Amino acid sequence: MKGQKLILRGAAALVGACLFSFGLSPVQAGPAAGADAASSPTNSVELKAPAQDAKPAAVRKQLTGAELYSMHCNRCHPERYPTERTAAQWKTIMLHMQVRANIPVEQSKLILQYLQDNSGR
Amino acid sequence: MKTRRWTFGLLAAICVTGMALPPRAVAQVSLTDFNALKEAVQKLSEQVQGLQQTNVLREQIHEQDVQQIQQLQEKLAATRQIATDAEQKSIEAAQAQPPSRQPIDEATVNHNFMILGDAEFQYAKSAGQHGAFALADFAPIFLYRGGDKILFEAGFDTTLQNGSAPTPSDPTVNHDSGYSTSFDLSFAQLDYVMNDYMTLCAGDLLLPLGTYSERGAGWLNKIPDDPLAVDALIPGSGIGAELQGGIPLGNAGKLLNYSVYGVNGPSSMDGSGSAGQLDLGGNVGVRSDGTTANLHGHPTGGARLGVFMPFKPHYDLELGISGQSGEWDDAGSHLYTAGVFDAALHLGPSFEAKGEYILTRYGSDDLGEVHQQGWFAQAGYKLAGLNLELPVINNVELVGRYDSLHDGMGTSTRRYTAGFVYYFTNTLLFEGDYEFLHSTDPSQVGQFILQLSYGF
Repeated sequence: MKGQKLILRGAAALVGACLFSFGLSPVQAGPAAGADAASSPTNSVELKAPAQDAKPAAVRKQLTGAELYSMHCNRCHPERYPTERTAAQWKTIMLHMQVRANIPVEQSKLILQYLQDNSGR
Repeated sequence: MKTRRWTFGLLAAICVTGMALPPRAVAQVSLTDFNALKEAVQKLSEQVQGLQQTNVLREQIHEQDVQQIQQLQEKLAATRQIATDAEQKSIEAAQAQPPSRQPIDEATVNHNFMILGDAEFQYAKSAGQHGAFALADFAPIFLYRGGDKILFEAGFDTTLQNGSAPTPSDPTVNHDSGYSTSFDLSFAQLDYVMNDYMTLCAGDLLLPLGTYSERGAGWLNKIPDDPLAVDALIPGSGIGAELQGGIPLGNAGKLLNYSVYGVNGPSSMDGSGSAGQLDLGGNVGVRSDGTTANLHGHPTGGARLGVFMPFKPHYDLELGISGQSGEWDDAGSHLYTAGVFDAALHLGPSFEAKGEYILTRYGSDDLGEVHQQGWFAQAGYKLAGLNLELPVINNVELVGRYDSLHDGMGTSTRRYTAGFVYYFTNTLLFEGDYEFLHSTDPSQVGQFILQLSYGF
């Protein structure tokens, strides 16, 4: 019974954390002047930020492959330098990491593009 | 032609003028006028001759130009013929020979084989024992990618250990002798990416009970040994199939991770339901006599649900809850159930904290329902975050961990670990720690560990 209570408490804590997270305003989602222009249109996904100061228009920013690389790789291990592998090797490693870290295919492709663009050759 | 016309016209005009003059006028022309007129006619005649000569010269030049144009046209025709012949020959040559090999852009090749992995070398000194070089571990991971959606991955673990040791079952052995090499299959799975958000995995799977099993390779873990509860309470892998994936939540990088799996599950070492016989990893689907069968009647099911919340690069929080339940004894009369709550936090590139709380219970013939629990929390801080610009200090990370384990059969252990990691490179680590251990089992003692780890 005590164990069941602990599991239930853990589940409740997770649900609470999820609800809390949905209400968070990501730091990078704030309106950054020129951020859209600085982002690569071919290596990014759209990031929609909540409007600030009650402005009706949503502020959009692009999450680049480099940003996604920093977010995901750091979850488990020190970041590996793109120059450590060739473009073909990154393709295989990225599929491995996509499965291991449950990364959606779209984000995985952006990270792969970043790694290949800066790869050893 | 115009010059001739002008000449004849002028002469005709003169003749007409002369015939038209009245005889009376002729009679009136003086010798002087006649001479002047004569000179004028002579000059005109000379001019006509000059014009005729000029015209002849021009005609000659024109003839020469026409000849040159004809010659050029002939040369052009000859050149065109040569080009046509060359083209024809090249076509014939191309048809006669196989196409030459084009260099392949390596980034576009459709398959690739790779070896990743890690290696560790360890020195350990346990309380009351001699210090020893305790571990030489080589753990390669083989990857074979077949296209964009298929990956086969297998991990092995090769370690050394002494050949024999005194045991209660064999008291005649009074000293270790020789050594043996263990070669274990850590995992071997085939992955098929079904769509953007779902991957099917089958084989010997690393189980998503918490995250440590999937992220606990030697060079990934900042402390040389595993948390007590992870080692003792939950299986690290299982034979079966799994559906897993990540679903974006909004566009800020937030993810919902899920995994659902079915595996053979744990088993009993002797087949009985005795509490001490629980074997978390021993049910691989093939019996010792070669027959293919689960050691008990039904498979085990499990799942993990997690949420990954990045706030910006290097700042994120990940929370997850996972569980597994299924039969474990041969008779199938007892269930093994585990629940894990995991969390990981990154605050910048220098700080990381993570932990897991593990709760298990399983039925048994002799002790009834056994309740186990354990947890660990560990944190690391890279001194580079202090911006001291000191070459050695910048490469050091301080780490600490607290472990707790209650095995449900009377043994409780608490362990405090303090240590460091020195980064020679981002993949070559020198780790050291001291573990202060307090346990109701007197055979468990604290130890000092140094480890060199390399991830490749």
